[in-house]
Amino acid sequence: MSPEIQLAGIHPRSEKLIELTRSYERAKTSWNQVEIQLEQETRELIKLQESLSFKHVSDGALAWQDQLRPIARSLKAVESGTRYSRWFDTNTFYQKPIVKGKISAGDTDPKNFLQTELLTGERNRKITLPGPYTISQLSENKHYENYPDLLFDVALAEREIIRRLRNEGVSLFQLSEPCLVYQPYRESFRDQSEVELALKAIRSVVEDNPREFVVQTYFGDVARLLPKLLDLPIYGVGIDLFETDISSFGEHTAKAVVLGVVDSRESYVEDPRWIADTARKFCDQVDVQELVFASNSDLKFLPQEIANQKLEALSKASELFEEGR
Amino acid sequence: MSKLFPVQEIGSLAKPKWRTKGLRQQLSSQDISEAEEWAEKLAIQDFHDRAKNILKTGNDRERAREVLELSTLYGLRLFETAGVDNDGVGGEQQRVEMYEHVIKAVQGMDLLGHVHSFDNKYFNKGVAESKIFRKHSIYLPEFLDVKKYAHRAVKVPITGAYTLVDWSFSGHYIQKQHASSPKTRKTEAKREFLLDVVEQIIRPEIRDLVNAGASWIQIDEPAVTTHPEPQEMELFVEAWNETVRGFSCKFSDHTCYPSEIGYKVLAEYAPKLDKCDHLALEFANRDTSRLGVDRDSREGYSDLKRFVDAGFNGEFGLGVAHVHDFTGSVSSGAGKSLGRDLIESPELVRDRLLFASKIVGDPARIWANPDCGLRTRTWDVSLAKLANITKGAELARETYE
Repeated sequence: MSPEIQLAGIHPRSEKLIELTRSYERAKTSWNQVEIQLEQETRELIKLQESLSFKHVSDGALAWQDQLRPIARSLKAVESGTRYSRWFDTNTFYQKPIVKGKISAGDTDPKNFLQTELLTGERNRKITLPGPYTISQLSENKHYENYPDLLFDVALAEREIIRRLRNEGVSLFQLSEPCLVYQPYRESFRDQSEVELALKAIRSVVEDNPREFVVQTYFGDVARLLPKLLDLPIYGVGIDLFETDISSFGEHTAKAVVLGVVDSRESYVEDPRWIADTARKFCDQVDVQELVFASNSDLKFLPQEIANQKLEALSKASELFEEGR
Repeated sequence: MSKLFPVQEIGSLAKPKWRTKGLRQQLSSQDISEAEEWAEKLAIQDFHDRAKNILKTGNDRERAREVLELSTLYGLRLFETAGVDNDGVGGEQQRVEMYEHVIKAVQGMDLLGHVHSFDNKYFNKGVAESKIFRKHSIYLPEFLDVKKYAHRAVKVPITGAYTLVDWSFSGHYIQKQHASSPKTRKTEAKREFLLDVVEQIIRPEIRDLVNAGASWIQIDEPAVTTHPEPQEMELFVEAWNETVRGFSCKFSDHTCYPSEIGYKVLAEYAPKLDKCDHLALEFANRDTSRLGVDRDSREGYSDLKRFVDAGFNGEFGLGVAHVHDFTGSVSSGAGKSLGRDLIESPELVRDRLLFASKIVGDPARIWANPDCGLRTRTWDVSLAKLANITKGAELARETYE
């Protein structure tokens, strides 16, 4: 079977939607008009995924203003809205969650996370959420004296939120954990004991249904961490091939590997033959049972037209890969 | 400049409606009523003659040129009215914004479309489709207008090569790389693209500006602190040093809104920047809004010590006024919160300058300025902030007399 293709995060908005949201900011367009366009684009994106034979379908999170906001707004004792921080080394920003008390799951309106009514026909729904380590790392802690207490309270709250999203038919959860591999905001990179804490927090999030989870890493090299991630009781692990040196790999895994093999930060659309060839080279290094093709991170860093072309390139590459087996 | 705590602007001012509309279409007398109002405030003597010209011309190009020149004059006079000592280029009225304005002048680059920045804010991102060249002058026409009208010292802010490359897709430069590792290809592409931007775009522009009489170039590099890795910082230093090589004018760097450790990293590398006489940095944004020259009151300025400790021995352009929306509280005597704006009091500005003087150890190395360009504030607010910076600098000066 050819490798599955998945969306790996927030999809870009079209120029039309961008113009509408700008016009809304200038009070020249109603929010209702923006919502109509959002719905239409979500439908188109779902249709595109279906036409490219995606097994798991996402709504593209087109309404999300940043990667952390829906979950930050669903956590009790977390405030946001006054400070913006840079999203890693990109030219995009997120509202910094400010932790002001003991964290727990607050009211979770699934509509803030995904367009459930537009995914009605989709049995395999996928959603991308920041993982507990990344949430806790990118928040400003004004309450907890010990970092592990913050991390594990985030994990418990996220598990609860995920339970509610599971009730909305989501069957695959991507926990994005870029902070595990890239920390440009810190003076020193996390040490091994912090990795163990992070992995423990992830285990706590996934413990209800571990096979429904992928842990995705991006913006950094996962090579040294990969064996530990593959030990997690989850469905799959995602890696950013544009940052990871695969030459030292020598793993064998029964888990799915989500190969971030198109670059969400470059407009050049990768040749499907190059993608397939790169995936083959990866398989020479790693004995992997199941391969998933995806972008290395959210495609929101690209104009929409190019993002869609990259999805098409992944689809074509998946066929070429299968033919070459 | 012999006086202590001279005041400078950093870059942009908001664009008046008549300036924006006048570039696209014919203006009516109603459209320029705002300009008439400000003509009085800024003592623009020949406003009526100029307005007549703008209103009567049917030639789009002539009208646009006149509107750009007039808006530059207004910007310069606004800075003068506030008492600013170095008036830059009058608030960058002749530029779209710092990125797009340059990319439009580069052959081989196209603007691909908008990408999300945050909330409902986006930026138009460019890609190198082929080897790049400068199509035409980027800043020179503006500088020539500035020279014509400025009564005080000026400097020319330009966007640095590192930021231009970091905010663009490498396109052509990625495709021509042969390394098998995607990571190596990206790294090699970035370096080649960067050095081409320096040689083909930035150096020819600086040459034109210097030949036209520019004596101070401010290089804006907001992207530099987003990649703290040593190889990226070395790349930035290499590009900077190549940019300024052989020129004899004054150079300064402006880098604002760094990541949590951004200034730590910049401080480490600043002494390696050739001919970098001055660093204009943002501090007010993270400082308290209460008076005092103690460390707690001035917590936002703690990173300044990093630059001193690292051995940077040039001047500091100290951000003493916030330029974005303000939602916090203001202590008595420190300023006024008006809607989304904070107008810092002269006393707060004074305390920030005095605290910084203690850290730097030499008040003669400190300039006062807003954190960044004031383009998100109205002209009334910009004028009020700059006027208070000027008064605050005067108060600080008095303590040394």
